[in-house]
Amino acid sequence: MKIFLVFLEQREGIVKKASIDTWNLVQELAALYPDTSVSALLAGPADIRQLDGVLAGQGVVYHANEEAYRLCNPQHYTRLIADTMKRVGATTLFFADTALSRDLAPRLSVRLQASLLSGCTVDEAWWNGGACQRPIYSGAAIASFAPCCPLKIYTIIPHATRSFSSATTSGSRITFETLEPSLHTSEELFPQVRCIAMHKGVRDVAEATIVVAGGRGMGSAEGFALLEELARLLGGAVGASRPVVDEGWRPHAEQIGQTGKTVAPALYLACAISGTPQHLAAIGSAGTIVAINRDPHAPIFDVADYGIVGDVHLVLPKLIEELQEFLKKR
Amino acid sequence: MRIAVCLCQVPDTSSVISFVGGAIDLSRVNEVMNPFDEYALEEAVRFKERFEGSSQVTLFCVAPSSAREMLRKALAMGGDRAFLLSPTEHSDPFQTALILSRAITDVYGDALPDLVFCGKHSTDFQSAQVPLMLAELLGMESVGAIIKLEASLATIQVEREIEGGIESLEVHYPALFSVEKGLNVPRKTTIKAVMEARKKPIDFLSITISTSQFVSITSIKPLVKEKKCRFLPDTQELVRQLAHEHVLF
Ligand SMILES: Cc1cc2nc3c(=O)[nH]c(=O)nc-3n(C[C@H](O)[C@H](O)[C@H](O)COP(=O)(O)OP(=O)(O)OC[C@H]3O[C@@H](n4cnc5c(N)ncnc54)[C@H](O)[C@@H]3O)c2cc1C
Ligand SMILES: Nc1ncnc2c1ncn2[C@@H]1O[C@H](COP(=O)(O)O)[C@@H](O)[C@H]1O
Repeated sequence: MKIFLVFLEQREGIVKKASIDTWNLVQELAALYPDTSVSALLAGPADIRQLDGVLAGQGVVYHANEEAYRLCNPQHYTRLIADTMKRVGATTLFFADTALSRDLAPRLSVRLQASLLSGCTVDEAWWNGGACQRPIYSGAAIASFAPCCPLKIYTIIPHATRSFSSATTSGSRITFETLEPSLHTSEELFPQVRCIAMHKGVRDVAEATIVVAGGRGMGSAEGFALLEELARLLGGAVGASRPVVDEGWRPHAEQIGQTGKTVAPALYLACAISGTPQHLAAIGSAGTIVAINRDPHAPIFDVADYGIVGDVHLVLPKLIEELQEFLKKR
Repeated sequence: MRIAVCLCQVPDTSSVISFVGGAIDLSRVNEVMNPFDEYALEEAVRFKERFEGSSQVTLFCVAPSSAREMLRKALAMGGDRAFLLSPTEHSDPFQTALILSRAITDVYGDALPDLVFCGKHSTDFQSAQVPLMLAELLGMESVGAIIKLEASLATIQVEREIEGGIESLEVHYPALFSVEKGLNVPRKTTIKAVMEARKKPIDFLSITISTSQFVSITSIKPLVKEKKCRFLPDTQELVRQLAHEHVLF
């Protein structure tokens, strides 16, 4: 019997889509083999009705519905996860790859003596030894990592080419169980999260299903108004290459690349971005890639599905117009 | 203040990583200090300058002896002494963290350093595991990927980016941080600093560990890009294609 535990992360009571995608991926893997069970741990106050009809497969969601878990204090979370692993007898723990899991997973790996495979993608071949893949050397190579310990921890990057939003939830059987309050949460453990400040109304590039990114060729901070307009139209997020951030045109939170964020949107629109390895390293899991660049030999076209050769200042206003037309007709 | 900085080497970004007969070829690679470690070192040196007199910045690096050159540069940037630790044959992040934790315990004795700084991740393997594993091994308070740090003698307030926002945390000494780009602007070394760095000690420390790897690499393959770009004449055609692929909205 293989027992998997999926960690469901909430922020401000909303369970992250990346966590739900991870659950659905794990269900898909579990369905390939008999004798597996999947459960989940949700930490913090959250209305569980939001999970109705979005979780595929079957299993128990353990809910640590305590105020103490509202903010993601690492020491309390680490204990809770380690305790729940023991309680359900889990041998494998899955996280979505997020800021929180990148903090918790290495701690848990040491504490539980568990193999940690982070920032990876898994496919069907995973059953054969639990190996997973991750690009290394700025995307020049792809490495396969295999766990050596009986306990394993994965932080998963969703694969844009697999659509989990369509994961079949019909016939799924999910039960919820509220965990009794933990004894240790009254203890003041540090580091302690004092507060979180969410950027209101802005979607994070790492989570958006559509990303419109701009490079140095956008020319100025003002040049990004076009991309903001486009992002608004498409319900996406604005991203940027490093020079754009270094120039102060956009905040670092929007930087995509080796020293920025890794993204896996269904659609990635690269505007006036040359496509150096440090940038491409972070978009390897994107679905459809569109490049707009005035240089037909720009390396971004080597990874793009569609390309338009032209000046962004001329092409983007037209694209915005076309999309408005398209929206009207729908 | 007793401050430790963990540094590693990575291929510089202009290095060519190629494959010969299916195996990765790193012979044409030029190794430099991991870019994130420059921010870590800079932050440590700023602490030293603030609490002048008694502060010392000690560098730790698990790497072959060829890393001396990189450590010289780090000493020129403001480190006071450096320890070079030899890696196990196929070190994984856990073993690296274990070697670092043993070295830190050896050097500082029973007391822990007040602060340890690491980079957010190494740009070659990007595992982002060593810093928090090290903190766990040493039993230190820790926060990963910080973008802002404000310290008093009693507590440290830090910020880090989370998806869609910023998280503010309070930490006590002794603490370990891994640092994100943008925390500071690393200084350039001066000729005077480079000269002075020649006199600073780089010592080899031999640490043997018996714990085996947590993770092994089973294969490294070139990333094949099989995409072929379709060049489109105008945006009308682009919208048509994207609508057809159902990737819009
Ligand atoms: C250690 C290290 C880490 C790095 N990390 C990152 C990272 O995380 N993310 C990242 O992006 N980079 C990173 N870089 C930088 C990277 O090497 C490149 O410098 C950067 O990606 C280039 O950004 P760009 O494409 O915006 O600019 P450029 O390379 O200058 O490209 C601009 C492009 O815009 C096109 N263009 C110009 N004007 C127009 C116009 N009007 N219309 C249409 N096209 C136009 C040009 O043809 C060109 O292709 C890193 C570098 C180092 C050394
Ligand atoms: N071999 C090493 N020697 C010293 N420090 C290291 C080593 N490997 C990683 N680190 C530290 O851990 C950080 C993150 O590395 P990684 O976990 O490999 O992505 C680096 O920026 C360094 O500060």
